[in-house]
Amino acid sequence: MTKIAPILKSIEKLPPFPRLATMALTAMEDSESSLDQVVAIIEYDQAITANVLRICNSAYYGLNRKVHSLRQAMVLLGNAQIKEIILAGTVVRFFRSYNKGYALASGELWKHAVGTAVIARIICRHVRKAEPPSLFTAALLHDVGKVVLNSFVDGYFDKIITLVNEKDYSFLEAEAEILGINHAELGARIAESWSFPEDIVCAIRLHHNPEKDNSGSQILPIVYLANIITLSMGIGVGRDGLSYRGQEKIMKDFGFKARDLQEIIITFYDEFNEIRDILQL
Amino acid sequence: MDVIIGIADMKVSHDPDVTLVTYSLGSCIGVAVYDTVARVGGILHYMLPESDVNPVRAKTNPYMFADTGIPMLFKSCYKLGAVKRQMIVKVAGGSQVMDESRVFNIGKRNYAALRKIFWRNNILIDAEDVGGTVNRTMRLNIATGETVLKVSGQGFKTL
Repeated sequence: MTKIAPILKSIEKLPPFPRLATMALTAMEDSESSLDQVVAIIEYDQAITANVLRICNSAYYGLNRKVHSLRQAMVLLGNAQIKEIILAGTVVRFFRSYNKGYALASGELWKHAVGTAVIARIICRHVRKAEPPSLFTAALLHDVGKVVLNSFVDGYFDKIITLVNEKDYSFLEAEAEILGINHAELGARIAESWSFPEDIVCAIRLHHNPEKDNSGSQILPIVYLANIITLSMGIGVGRDGLSYRGQEKIMKDFGFKARDLQEIIITFYDEFNEIRDILQL
Repeated sequence: MDVIIGIADMKVSHDPDVTLVTYSLGSCIGVAVYDTVARVGGILHYMLPESDVNPVRAKTNPYMFADTGIPMLFKSCYKLGAVKRQMIVKVAGGSQVMDESRVFNIGKRNYAALRKIFWRNNILIDAEDVGGTVNRTMRLNIATGETVLKVSGQGFKTL
C-alpha cells in the first residue's frame, strides 16, 4: 500500500478550498451580516462574481428579470439559494480541471456534479420532504476525490478495469485494491482538510456505500440515489462507466419502484435545459 | 460535420457530409438506422421504455420513449426516401449499474421495449452492443452507413 502515501500527499498540494466558498458555507449558520461580508469580498473577484451572476440568471432559478449585482441577487433569491450559488460559482474551477484518469473531458465531472445536485433536489420533492440544508453541497461535491485521484488512476487503469471486468469488482472496490484508497474516501479526506461539516464529509465518504452509515444521515441516501441515477443516465460518466453497485435497500427505504425512477428522470430532463448556463461556466 | 443528437432526441439526414453522433448512452438506448441504397440515416436516443408513464410528455417529446420514438425514427427516414427493406438497424446502450436485485434495470427495460416493437413490426437488428456497466457514444456516417461506438473502458469498435 505504498501508493497511498503520494496520493494523500497530493491533497496538500491542492489549492485551498476557495476561501470565499468556505466563508459562504460558514455564513450559512451565521447571521445575515456575515453573508453581507461574503458578498462584499466576492465583489472584488470578477471571475467569481461573473459566475455567480450567470447562475443567478440561469433559467433554473427562474427570476423574471435580469440580475446585475450580487446584492440585487441576494434580495431576490434569499440567503439559502445565494449561498449555494456562491458555492457552485467558486468550486467549478476544481471540477473543470482535466480528468485524464477517468477519461472525462473537461467539464464532464462538473456536469455530473451539477446533475447529481439537481437530481438530489428532485428526489426530495418526489418524496415530499423538506430539503436538508447541506444536501446540495454534498451532492455537488460527492466526487471531489476524483479530481485528485485522476492522475493516479491513469497509470493503473488497466489493472483496475481488469478487476472490474474479470472479478466482478465495482470500480470503487478496484480503486481501493489497486491504489490503496478509493475516490470516495479520498474525497472525504479532502473535505476534512477543508474543514467541512461532518454530515457533508460523511455523505462524500459513503456515497457508494450508504449501508455503512451509522450516523443516521438524512442526506447520504439521497446523494447515493441521485448519483446512481445520474450515472445511469450516462451524465459525466468516464472510463469507470456504470461499474458501481445498486443498493436495493435504499430503493426500499424510499418506497421507490421502477416507475418512481422514471418519473424522477423525466423531471430531471425537463430541468436539464434550465441548468445549461450553469454547466457552461 | 458532426450533428449531435441529445438525450431524448432524434435526427435524420441524407447529407453525405454529416456524421450523426450521440453521447451519454448509459441506460438510454441509441438506435441507428440506415438505408444502404438511398443513403439516408438517422439516430434516436431515447431514455425510457413506455410512454404510459407520462403521456403528456410523450406528446411534447416523443423521442423520450421507445414506443413513441422508434416509429418517428422510421417515418422520418421514409420522408427522406428511405425504404424499410433496405434499412439496416443497429442498437447500442441499455447498460446499468451493478445490481443483482434488478431494481435499477431501466437499461434492460429499455431494451425489452425495443425488442417488442421490432418484433411486432418485423424489424431485425443487424448489430448491437447492449447491456453491461459501460457508457457508450454512437456515431453514424451518412455517406457510408458505418456505425462506430466508443465504449467506456474498451475504446472504439465498429458495429
